[in-house]
Amino acid sequence: MFVTGLALVLVWCLIALVAPWLATHDPYAIDFVATLKPPGAAHWFGTDNVGRDTYSRVVYGSRLALYIGLLGVIAPLVIGMTVGLTAGYFGGWVDTIAMRLVDITVPFPFFVLVLSIVAVLGPGIENYFIALALVGWVGYARLARSEAMVLRQAEFVLAARTMGFSHRYILLRHILPNALSPIVVYVMTDVTLVILFGAALGFLGMGVSPPAAEWGVMIAEGQSYISTAWWISFFPGLAMVLIGVGFALIGDGLARMLRIER
Amino acid sequence: MTPLLKVCDLSVRFGQTVAVDGVTFDLARGAALGIVGESGSGKSVTCRALMRLLPPATNISGSVEFEGRDLLNLSEPELNTIRGKRIAMIFQSPASHLDPLMRIGEQVAEALVEHTDLKGRAVWEEVLRLLDVVRIPDPDRCARAYPHQLSGGMKQRAMIAGALACQPDLLLADEPTTALDATVQKSVLDLLAQLRREQNLSMIFVSHDLGAVARVCDDLLVMRRAKLVERGPVTRVIDAPQHEYTKQLIASHPDRLASRQVAAVSQGAPLLEAQGIQIRYGGKSLADVLTGREGGFVAVKHADFVVRPGETLGIVGESGSGKTTLARSLVGLVKPHKGEVLFDGAPADPSGRGRVAYLRDVQLIYQHPYEALSPRLTVQAAIAEPLRRHRLCPAAEVLRRVAELMAQVDLAPDLAKRLPGQLSGGQCQRVAIARALAFNPRVLIADEVTSALDVTLQAQVMDLLLKLQKERGLTMVFISHDLAVIRRLCNSVIVMRAGEIVEAGPTASVFDAPQQAYTRALIDAIPHLHGDAA
Repeated sequence: MFVTGLALVLVWCLIALVAPWLATHDPYAIDFVATLKPPGAAHWFGTDNVGRDTYSRVVYGSRLALYIGLLGVIAPLVIGMTVGLTAGYFGGWVDTIAMRLVDITVPFPFFVLVLSIVAVLGPGIENYFIALALVGWVGYARLARSEAMVLRQAEFVLAARTMGFSHRYILLRHILPNALSPIVVYVMTDVTLVILFGAALGFLGMGVSPPAAEWGVMIAEGQSYISTAWWISFFPGLAMVLIGVGFALIGDGLARMLRIER
Repeated sequence: MTPLLKVCDLSVRFGQTVAVDGVTFDLARGAALGIVGESGSGKSVTCRALMRLLPPATNISGSVEFEGRDLLNLSEPELNTIRGKRIAMIFQSPASHLDPLMRIGEQVAEALVEHTDLKGRAVWEEVLRLLDVVRIPDPDRCARAYPHQLSGGMKQRAMIAGALACQPDLLLADEPTTALDATVQKSVLDLLAQLRREQNLSMIFVSHDLGAVARVCDDLLVMRRAKLVERGPVTRVIDAPQHEYTKQLIASHPDRLASRQVAAVSQGAPLLEAQGIQIRYGGKSLADVLTGREGGFVAVKHADFVVRPGETLGIVGESGSGKTTLARSLVGLVKPHKGEVLFDGAPADPSGRGRVAYLRDVQLIYQHPYEALSPRLTVQAAIAEPLRRHRLCPAAEVLRRVAELMAQVDLAPDLAKRLPGQLSGGQCQRVAIARALAFNPRVLIADEVTSALDVTLQAQVMDLLLKLQKERGLTMVFISHDLAVIRRLCNSVIVMRAGEIVEAGPTASVFDAPQQAYTRALIDAIPHLHGDAA
């Protein structure tokens, strides 16, 4: 399973990397002669209402999807780990403050919160990233905190303290590496989520703006032709499923492997 | 007379690993057989194989005949007419084998309802009788209690009562006293020995502790690395062991270790001193403030002691006595509520400003060998860490110094690149000792360092500590629940109970003429090789 997931993701990375060679057409080239063509020899995945090649757009879309997915988790990861590990390790008032901050975001559904922040800041990937950084760290913080709370009682951490090491050093050298495994698993599911929400924002017109070759945008554009030209929305949707399944399988596999290691 | 249980050529394999290899033995009706061995010797697996309590993928061969029927070939329903009814089992940790949400009485009643014709009122009366048989005081109240309301010893008794419910012919006991405090351990062992006689119970008693087995059993099997290495009557095996390994095992028992001439307490100025230490956990609640109470939970009520240069102070006590908390306050992991620690005559603040300098002189070694080392650091990295971080030696010298420290604790140089998971418990403990020695400390505090180790390793680590003390003139504080170990290592001793020091003095006088009843009970509970059967 893990290998399948890894293979899927690697294939997608490869596609993104060599997109110009894989694409048969310019993803933005409008061709009013060939609009709404079904999949065929000339256009493998068909064309949309302005004659753009769906296949080439799906291929180029992988770049944006991976860019959003991988970049989108970085800020939440870093913020969440820092807050969670320090809160869990020190406890006391540091923990109280951090956890009240977490509590603020918990009652709101994740996507609703992201959506409202983007609505306030205006559409665009940058604002999506900002929204993720503001909201997404919470999950990482809770996970990192619970790991750190267990680890701070572990004898090797006590030993590090009685060897007179600084708290910063102990956090970086002893707590962080040992708290990492469940977090890595969480990152994998989070990447899928971020890609999905990014596409959803694109669909709602609040993410990447048209005419970009972004899967969510493409699905939105194909919406009105869904009964006559299903391929416009179908192929970007399929691509999203395949990339999501890939990351999910990696996460699953990692979870299993790390559990055995313990 | 045919034996009750006849085990023939029993082998158990988990995949490629052979856990039990060709074990053969008989058990006569009414006999008690002890199986001893160190961790990983296959003793517990043997015991579980008899009841077919192993994971389904396990490969078991040989035969286990119970009254002429081979348990290994019975169908599951047939086996269930024997399991629990004819053969009962008790386990190491009563806490994890009792359902926390069920009253004790109900759990004992479960077996009665399942396997006997008793109903309603009669079941409850039988439960009370059984609790009385295992000498639980006030069975009526106890039967209504939940597991968390009982002490460890009481839980183990309740589990034994449950096992006895259907008047089994054979009782399998898998390390039944290992998780218990010494005094409780002794009372449970005495109970098992008594039950054997009263109920004409046959018993297989698995333990790593020869002394415990000697108290209950007549015959002994010694296992090592999946194989039976020796068998015979307990007294014969202990007095005249045949196999090399048995000899080593018996020689490692605290009873047999050459008694050390413990020097009289030296009279120099104290090196480490605790004055009126009081330690509390948890803060004051509002109610505490209003009523003027101190609040929190008191782990150590009041502790005074002195350790003079070159001597070893032993701190003994059972679980919950506050000994580990006290030790941790000496290295600043816990901040005392009251009192102070003096080092070299001057007040020291182990958790405050001067802590780094103080910790170079006072180091603590922890209880669990695997847990005390970071799982991701190699032996070399672990020992080098303090050297590098505190610049205890020039950077170019670090590896040479690591090698030197490893040699001092008798670790082979080729272990340097291994991770803790690839070492044995004894080796891990040596690494932890080497790491502490990297500081060149004047005081070494050892917190239960031998209790997680097998007896032979325990003896080796003790010898190592003695050697180091002699070579370096180390001052030691040695914390243990094991009086035999304390007696061997320490010049003076303090006995703790429920956060208080109940008795203190030179080792010889505390052991030979204990003043307090509690100290006497602790000393009586030391398991000896020649079991003074109750």
